[in-house]
Amino acid sequence: MIAWSLPLVPMVAGLAMAATGGRVPEGRRRRVVGATGVAVMFVTLVLAGGAVVVESSGSHDVGGGLALHVAAGGLPGWAALLVSGVATAVVAWAAAHEDVDGLGSLLGLLVAFVGAMLLLVVADDLVTLVVGWELVGIASWALIGHRWRDPSAPAAAAHAYNATRFGGLGIVLAAGATFAATGTVAFDAIRLLDGAALGVVAAGILLAAASKSALVPFSPWLFSAMAGPTAVSALLHSSTMVAAGAYALVRLGPALEPVGWFGPVAIAVGLVTALAGGVVALLQGHAKKLLAASTSAQYGLMVVAVGAGYPVVAFLHLAAHALLKAHLFLSAGVAREAVGSHDLARMRLGNQLRSTAWLAAVAALALAASPPLGAAWTKEEVLAAAAHDAVWIGLAVAVAGGLSAAYATRYHLLAFGGRRHDGPSPRPAPLRRPTGVEVAAMAALGMGTVALSVLWVPSVHEAVVAGLDGELPTPAAWELPTSLALVALGAYVVWSRDRSGRLGHVPAVGRARALADWLGLPTLTRHVVVTPTLALAHALAQVDDRVVDAGVRGVARTATRVSDLLGRRVEWSVDRVVAAMAGGVSRLADVFSRDGERAVDAVVAGVARVVERGGRDVRRLQTGFVHHQYVVVAVGVVVVLAAAILGR
Amino acid sequence: MLTTAILVPLLGAVAVAVLGRRWSDGVARAVGVGVTIVPLALVVAAWAAFDRSSPELFQLVTEVDWIPTLGVGYRVGVDGIALAVAGVTAVVFTAAVAHPAETRGIAHQYVAWFLFLESASLGLFFALDLVLFYVFFDLSLVGMYFLVSRWGHDDAERAALKFFLYTFLGSLSLLVGIIALGLSMDPITFDMRAIIDAQPLAAAGHAMVVLVLVLVGLGIKTPVVPFHTWLPAAHVEAPATASAVLAGVLLKMGTFGLIRIPYAMMRETFADAAVVVGIVAVISILYGALVALGQGDLKRRIAYTSVNHMGYVVLGVAAAGSVLTGDEAARGLALTGATVQMVAHGLITGALFLLTGSIWRRTHDFDLDHYGGLLATVPLLAGATILASFASLGLPGLAGFVGEFQIFVGTFAVLPVLAGIGLLGIVITAALFLQLLQRLFLGELPEDLATMPDLDPVERTTLAGLLALVVLIGVAPRFLVDTANAAASILVGG
Repeated sequence: MIAWSLPLVPMVAGLAMAATGGRVPEGRRRRVVGATGVAVMFVTLVLAGGAVVVESSGSHDVGGGLALHVAAGGLPGWAALLVSGVATAVVAWAAAHEDVDGLGSLLGLLVAFVGAMLLLVVADDLVTLVVGWELVGIASWALIGHRWRDPSAPAAAAHAYNATRFGGLGIVLAAGATFAATGTVAFDAIRLLDGAALGVVAAGILLAAASKSALVPFSPWLFSAMAGPTAVSALLHSSTMVAAGAYALVRLGPALEPVGWFGPVAIAVGLVTALAGGVVALLQGHAKKLLAASTSAQYGLMVVAVGAGYPVVAFLHLAAHALLKAHLFLSAGVAREAVGSHDLARMRLGNQLRSTAWLAAVAALALAASPPLGAAWTKEEVLAAAAHDAVWIGLAVAVAGGLSAAYATRYHLLAFGGRRHDGPSPRPAPLRRPTGVEVAAMAALGMGTVALSVLWVPSVHEAVVAGLDGELPTPAAWELPTSLALVALGAYVVWSRDRSGRLGHVPAVGRARALADWLGLPTLTRHVVVTPTLALAHALAQVDDRVVDAGVRGVARTATRVSDLLGRRVEWSVDRVVAAMAGGVSRLADVFSRDGERAVDAVVAGVARVVERGGRDVRRLQTGFVHHQYVVVAVGVVVVLAAAILGR
Repeated sequence: MLTTAILVPLLGAVAVAVLGRRWSDGVARAVGVGVTIVPLALVVAAWAAFDRSSPELFQLVTEVDWIPTLGVGYRVGVDGIALAVAGVTAVVFTAAVAHPAETRGIAHQYVAWFLFLESASLGLFFALDLVLFYVFFDLSLVGMYFLVSRWGHDDAERAALKFFLYTFLGSLSLLVGIIALGLSMDPITFDMRAIIDAQPLAAAGHAMVVLVLVLVGLGIKTPVVPFHTWLPAAHVEAPATASAVLAGVLLKMGTFGLIRIPYAMMRETFADAAVVVGIVAVISILYGALVALGQGDLKRRIAYTSVNHMGYVVLGVAAAGSVLTGDEAARGLALTGATVQMVAHGLITGALFLLTGSIWRRTHDFDLDHYGGLLATVPLLAGATILASFASLGLPGLAGFVGEFQIFVGTFAVLPVLAGIGLLGIVITAALFLQLLQRLFLGELPEDLATMPDLDPVERTTLAGLLALVVLIGVAPRFLVDTANAAASILVGG
């Protein structure tokens, strides 16, 4: 019961809000739609709480041997709680912050988006996973394209959808392989597989996760997703869409471990993304894109943990990241509203927006993985998991952690640092300040981040991990000091550059700019995938018209010529046949009318008219022997049938 | 029951043609809808009377001798697949007749040809005799020819002729195959049930020749690449309502025939050729999607997506027939999926073409470059198009997903490589529909479209009817899946 209502309540309510929200008068819309959205999210949150406590499951038979299965409780329950908790704060913030024009559809779609994500969370088989996956994708398409009058927004939305749909095909492949071997697509059935079939499943799931979690080479779609409103980014990066990929890996990773290459490939993809994302974030001058690159990097770390065999560690890092990243995006939205731009070089709002700056500092410290915040503990566990696989992988994770500290510091100093004396002149007052609801939403997320600090307490994290049926890596003595040293180093380098006035944004030209745009990946994708596909499509469209059809037209021309020759002779005989048939029917009518059957007469005469008309049509078609013959036969059949009907 | 469903629209066609001379456009269409409701109700009744657990493939059979010496008879009956396709036929015809169109002052003839065509279509899906099947197959060409040539756009005569000659060529090829099948029976009979039981060509040397003839005939109708070039021409010139019927119903005759004749009657030969059929299907899937993406004309783009979507159906049938025994569950799923996909494509593409008709009524323009930003101007038209496009790109919760997922999962067990390659078509379809929506409804609004009127009540009703079924099949497909599965599980021998 809970397992079904958890996704369906927000999905149905959200769609209803999207459909009707625009009819609420603008003056009351923010209050009415906002309150509805928060209420729905609150109900969902309560349901998620129930899902943590009570095991529940359900199924929906779709026939043909397939059924949708959902199950809540354990990991899915906690994930649902995380998703709906973060979403409640984001929806409340959006209700207070976003434009009132289109607010109904925005909040409605946000709520439905959460519902789709919850379906993915409670999915217990690969069909349900695909369904949730695609619904999350299409909801994000609508949300990223929310400002649809701007032509660039829909294109960006399509980029996000197409990239993640491509990856989603991996799950369909996985479903095909599982069904072929076991006759079902249940998650449990994956454990029964071996050999090539399991390899296909592992490849499919990894491909899907890489696309959704914006790992290399799919990362650039996350930059396109910036076209959406801030609340959309906040949700999409934290507990929905992007989280879907890592969540699927957490859920299915243990079953895929027998595949020899799965762990190493996952670690490689994750590590490359973590390091590359860190570099991109250090170079970005766009507030949201900096955060987006850091999202890819953090998800890279989660995938490393899954690859190393510790999915529960990945999940805990996902949870800590969800809280801090939603918070950071909301703060970026407030900053953007204040200066009218996402340009980090124009912000430094620490003196003007004190409360937002202080709250954001908590999230930035968490992103930097500073103890005693929970996000630091989860990162250390990722490091321990990686080092468990090989020491150099652990060291690489520590370097990625140093980069996190550097870009988190950089983001906070540029967005919410104090004004430098030699910086640009202060903005004219008044700034748009966050409302109480916005601050409360950010504060709630901040409190969540702080509350996770209890994970450092051994008895707490042991209980949590045991509750999630997972285990923890045993850390080596060198790990924590090394990791903390790198964090401190990363933060210090950025801080000292700021002190010496060299922490501007990236120059608008040259190599740095190209690197900041995801190391040139978007350009590569455009040249290797998008442009060739479109060019091929247009070329084939031409070929189809000119070449494939040409043979057909050639045959047609020949036939026309032949028919011209035959036509003169055949025309005459066809006319005769038609005339004879029409005459025959007319004579039949005469017979009936002599018997005084007026009604019958009318019908038969009508048939005669139809036949005559048909005859005229036949004459109109100057097209050839076969064709003429054929129409005559067809009309004849109609007449015969009509006669048969009359005879009944 | 089935015979009445064939006869009522035929009688209606004659009656409307004779009596309706002075009827206005609205009256003629209203009478037409009144007639199409009857077969719709009868198909629903047949659906209710159909026993899904029966071991008999065909039910509700009626049989009357026609030419006994040649074993030709009027034989009608249904299996789950025929029932499903007949259902979509009855629905799409009702919507197409009801939907507003430019009838050029001869509305009674317009309606009459639709009714005639409905009779031929239902007759084909109900036929249990190969000759009867062939007669209806050809009559459908006649009906469509006149609808396109008389009520089509500028170049309609030429397009209609191309459609006619091309598909007629296909039907001749089919005819030769049918005769070969009938003559191979001893005594000669064209009774489908007897031929399915006997598998007369199983050991014959010329079986592959017959199979190729039949496949070409049906392949032209479906159409598969490279026999598809009549399709965009006919669709672009046809009135939108006729396009809805052409895509929604007539294309199904090709794939329905594929299941009926080569798959069911020539199992061993078909299994030998299944990989080739599957390759042609995958080429159709990818080529159709790519060429659709390259189109700047709204109607041509939708027309080419039919090549793509029918490719999925052919792939499903090829997978189901690729081996004679083994993998029954997967092959049954592929065949069920092919049937569901036929129904889904009929409803979705029917709705999409009716929408192109609504757009044409308002602007007389199909060039996508001339559109944009209409979302707020015509919210209902945009909403219906978005929903239909989502369904067409295979979004879960809507009809298109169900069949495609079943086809791919089922096909993977027997033809994994083809299934994997075919999957790529799904991404291209998504890209082309999202781009289509973007070019029609998002971005900047051209000034001349600022006053475009939204859907009128009749348009709303027809589209709501089709799209409601699209959602129903997407959310609760069991009524359809179980019916299709009743036939599929018998046909795959499970």
